[in-house]
Amino acid sequence: MGRLGLPWLVGAALGVSAALVLGLLGSQVGYAGLWAPWRALGSETLRHAVGLSLVTATAASALALLFAVPAAYGLARYRFPGSWLLDVVLDVPVVLSPVAVGVSLILLLRSAPGQWVEEHLLRFIFAVPGIVLAQFTVALALSIRVLKASFQGVDERYEQVARFLGCTAWGAFWRVSLPLARRGILAAFILGWARSIGEFGATVTLAGAVPGQTETIPVAIYLRLAGVDLAGAVALMLLLSALSLVVLVAVRLAGGER
Amino acid sequence: MATLFRFSLLLVLLASAPALAAPPTLEVFAGSASRPAAEELARRFEGATGARVAVHFGGSGALLAQLELTGRGDVYFPGSSEFMALAVAKGLVDPATETPVFYRLPALLVPRGNPKNLRGLEDLARPGVRVGLARPDTVACGLYGAEVLEAAGLAAAVRPNVVSYAESCEKAVGLLTLGLVDAALAWAELGGWDPGRVESVPLPPAALPRIGVVPAAVAARSRHPALARQFVAFLAGAEGQAILARHGYSTDLAAIRRQARPGAPLGGRFEPAPGWR
Repeated sequence: MGRLGLPWLVGAALGVSAALVLGLLGSQVGYAGLWAPWRALGSETLRHAVGLSLVTATAASALALLFAVPAAYGLARYRFPGSWLLDVVLDVPVVLSPVAVGVSLILLLRSAPGQWVEEHLLRFIFAVPGIVLAQFTVALALSIRVLKASFQGVDERYEQVARFLGCTAWGAFWRVSLPLARRGILAAFILGWARSIGEFGATVTLAGAVPGQTETIPVAIYLRLAGVDLAGAVALMLLLSALSLVVLVAVRLAGGER
Repeated sequence: MATLFRFSLLLVLLASAPALAAPPTLEVFAGSASRPAAEELARRFEGATGARVAVHFGGSGALLAQLELTGRGDVYFPGSSEFMALAVAKGLVDPATETPVFYRLPALLVPRGNPKNLRGLEDLARPGVRVGLARPDTVACGLYGAEVLEAAGLAAAVRPNVVSYAESCEKAVGLLTLGLVDAALAWAELGGWDPGRVESVPLPPAALPRIGVVPAAVAARSRHPALARQFVAFLAGAEGQAILARHGYSTDLAAIRRQARPGAPLGGRFEPAPGWR
């Protein structure tokens, strides 16, 4: 490759990536019309689905972050017996197909401890918390993966200097490593949220597809396809795309990244 | 961090509050074939009895798996009698409560305006005609479609034109609305679901050797068996049947018998020729 090789390669790769996504969005608009999502919002059940999707995806990805930050920090900083194995095992929910995650969660909840939780603490099967659990399971694995790489990218010497200057281990983590890993945290949240809002297979298996109750936007898309209402389904795809774009732009702005 | 934790705790509590406070709910596992009518049926039943009804939609097989896996569910309302037979064999429904709810026949569905001018089953064998069918080995509508073609002696001639085997009857019709096929063999009533894009070419009675039956039954592990029995009776009763008929489902057995081959069996088993898989 000559000196012009790299810019060409970069341009071509970006061009293909952008053309693919814009092509998808363009074909959605072409099929359903630009205002189809707006008209779809006239339905009360659909507004419920939109609210449910936003609340569950946000709750699942925020909860995932809450667990992923310390877990990933531990994996990045500490070596303990079996830590590499644990690291690999945590990827399993991402590898499993979403339907398989859903079935496995049901099996878990049907076990004796799972049944106790279902009966005494919180109902997951065919209920809204089931949606959050299904999304959380995968978002957690993704967040840990992203955050571990991000903590590994933070030079340990900064923490050592902070400790030397009198910081506690907690203080060094909270005031040094965490702010330095800010971009990773943002990326983990975006990845977890994006995966959660579009999650279908595990959600529909664990929480069911009850219109107006456990109906997220992806479930609503499925129900419309099942009713041979293709135009309606595409309108919702466009709505999901638009809604997610707005949220992701807002998250990036709030995170100080553009 | 503490705020975030409190916030998530609040979300979880909010999400679970309705589940804790709600009265007992009848869980109906309905094949998506009955989607247009099932929700209205559920709302009417709620109005009449004061009970709550949650209708879970999905493929009949996936729903049966959920019924078995979760141990939940009060009424099973699949898209065909084959799945009910499977549910009975697995001991997941009470066979004594199985009740026919409506009947169905396959039809030839084409894009609105019938651009390829397909008038009958023979036309599906014409070179260049793309045919969509549901999988005969797992989907009732595919099985009945295969039987129709075999009975007409057209299976070998049409099979090369089948470009896709969909995993549900709705998806076979979806192939049509996406413009991927020129014709689909599917349940006749699906032809009315998207009148702007799809029209139905009815098949002559001689071409229809079997009548599909859509039954409902009470789940064996139902927590509200009396209410579930009441719901099944409501589906088969005058009010339920009127709602179904208004949504285009065939509830009149005498009428549907006239549209099929004389003496055509109701439901039952048919083994498709091996060439279909």
